[in-house]
Amino acid sequence: MVQILDVMQKALEGKPMSETDYQLRSFAAKVNEKVKEYDIHFDRNTPIPDDPTLADDAFQAAFDLVVEVGAYCTNTNRVISYTESEVKEALRFAPSEIEFGEGKDRRKLRPRSVGDKNPPWCLLGAGGGACSSEQSFLALVEGYAEIPEANAITTPALTRVGGMRIRPASPLEVLGAQRNAVLFREACNRVGRQGMPVMNALSTAESDIALAGAMHPKYGLRQSDGYMICCMDPMKVDFARLNKATVALGLGGPIGMCFGPMMGGYAGGPEGTAISNIAHHMMGILTYQASWFLPFPLHLRYVSSSCRELLWLISLSGQAISRNTHLLSVNLNYTSAGPSTLMCLLETSASVTAAVTSGLHIESLGVASNKEEDRTTPVEPRISAEVGHAVAGMSLADANELVTRLVKGYEDKLQAPPLGKMLFEAWDADRRRPSKDYIAVLKEYRKKMKSLGIGVRGGPWA
Amino acid sequence: MSAEKILEQLRGAVLKYDSDAAVSAAKAVIHAKMDPLQAIEKGLVPAIHDVGEKFEKMEIYLPELMLAGDAMKSALALLLPLVPKGEKTSKATVVIGTVQGDVHEIGKNIVSSMLMAGGFEVIDLGVNVKTSTFVDEAKARGAKIIGASALMSSTIGSQKDIIDYLSASGDRRRFTVLVGGGPTTQEWSDEIGADGWGKNAVHAVKLASKAVKGR
Repeated sequence: MVQILDVMQKALEGKPMSETDYQLRSFAAKVNEKVKEYDIHFDRNTPIPDDPTLADDAFQAAFDLVVEVGAYCTNTNRVISYTESEVKEALRFAPSEIEFGEGKDRRKLRPRSVGDKNPPWCLLGAGGGACSSEQSFLALVEGYAEIPEANAITTPALTRVGGMRIRPASPLEVLGAQRNAVLFREACNRVGRQGMPVMNALSTAESDIALAGAMHPKYGLRQSDGYMICCMDPMKVDFARLNKATVALGLGGPIGMCFGPMMGGYAGGPEGTAISNIAHHMMGILTYQASWFLPFPLHLRYVSSSCRELLWLISLSGQAISRNTHLLSVNLNYTSAGPSTLMCLLETSASVTAAVTSGLHIESLGVASNKEEDRTTPVEPRISAEVGHAVAGMSLADANELVTRLVKGYEDKLQAPPLGKMLFEAWDADRRRPSKDYIAVLKEYRKKMKSLGIGVRGGPWA
Repeated sequence: MSAEKILEQLRGAVLKYDSDAAVSAAKAVIHAKMDPLQAIEKGLVPAIHDVGEKFEKMEIYLPELMLAGDAMKSALALLLPLVPKGEKTSKATVVIGTVQGDVHEIGKNIVSSMLMAGGFEVIDLGVNVKTSTFVDEAKARGAKIIGASALMSSTIGSQKDIIDYLSASGDRRRFTVLVGGGPTTQEWSDEIGADGWGKNAVHAVKLASKAVKGR
């Protein structure tokens, strides 16, 4: 089993290669080759494919990719190669269940299968989106912790400390990360969910020193939280990320590797990006020592995951992973539209349906491309969770019909989506409820979903 | 070989993303004693412009865009030294990089390639670039424009640092500073006193072109 010392040895002694050559002439070229070799084709009329052979071929293509190109260390400019037996062993020994949280909020994350009737793990929140103040942070996290379906929380990232904008790897970032941990626990305590785990520890800690600096127990992080490390696209790593992995391993906290292959980026179109997305799971067990996975593929232009290409590649990736492994994979979705718009709710419904019916769990969500500070509310993840529970057990054919009808409702607006409202325009934190306007949108949404055969509450307010 | 044939080879090398072919074609330009500036303007520039348009329509993807850029750079390395001094080979020089503390490069690479396709000489400093390096390199390379990319809400502060550093050292008016990247907005650009915010790569090229005309 490849361990962190083996990773370092490979990073120090692997084949020397320039980063450009790895990305363009090794990774990108090999992805192209695999798309052709395994004859993988995107069909825009079938956003949720129902072809087990296609899923298994995509998995095999991804397996080949990992073995043939390996990962890449940007500090040593060397390829971190893995043998076929190392990848197979990693897949065999990867955890098939992990417990997160404490007390009554302690739950077990288990693998799902295609069409699984069990509801998905609901990791709910902001997906690391930026928030401008501690007030926004608390309002959001309290709102997330009150969602009945929430198994864990993905917090926003603080952008300011002491009135100063955070600078990377500086004391401001270390203090921000510490505050992120403290405020998360405070928000959960306030609403009576003291055992709730955070699974993106820590979104405010982009640097290794900031994560390490917030690890002291007095800031409230626990072994039963999830420690998230973001992979550099495509399949790259640096010492800072390996430092984070080493620190989390030292604590005994389960590492989740997040990765966001861009459709239109190094892996090319939807077919290559699906292969890359699947391959990152295998690379993550080995290189980042990950025991759970957080894919968030995005469209290069829309910076969201709700267009037909992305729905197809989320579904294909989910089917490939759940049919061929017991890996714990949690798909994070982004919308193009913002809070208090019907489009945003339809987008997240489509992405969540694609993931859940294909055997994935959900992290939901990045709102309005997760671009602007405070352009998110606790409503959007709540709706995502309701949809996730409602579509569990749905067949791929039915999911395809549902998703096709959903996507028709917004795809012409992806180029110029409505950005909706800001947090405190759309969410009354004191009354713990959305604005009147947003409640009207939720009623419209509930009616629309009912017409599509899906019963969702639209929160307790609609 | 005729001049037209050689220009065709230059164009073809870029359109096929082939650096070796681009070097061969550039050598043919030199061997045939053709005007190097004309070879650049009629061979390389229209080809890279076509590649940029295809990328914009998503008919091709990032690897093809970058490989085409590499092919163009390979040919330019041979042809540019032969252009007589004083003759203009590009709109302007742009120094570009991802800011300190940030290692995300896709957006920066796209803008870099599209600027090249738009007729700029691009000095790509890579990722995690120190504030002072942006400024020092811009001065050393005679750049008029500094492009600073950031993808994280925790790293966009480094864009402000570049502008503050230029102001504090009395060099602010020498450079146009353009910012871009995931969490950046027009409001952020205005707040930190940048000269422009590139909403996307095409917009960034438009801003750079406008900046050159305005100078």
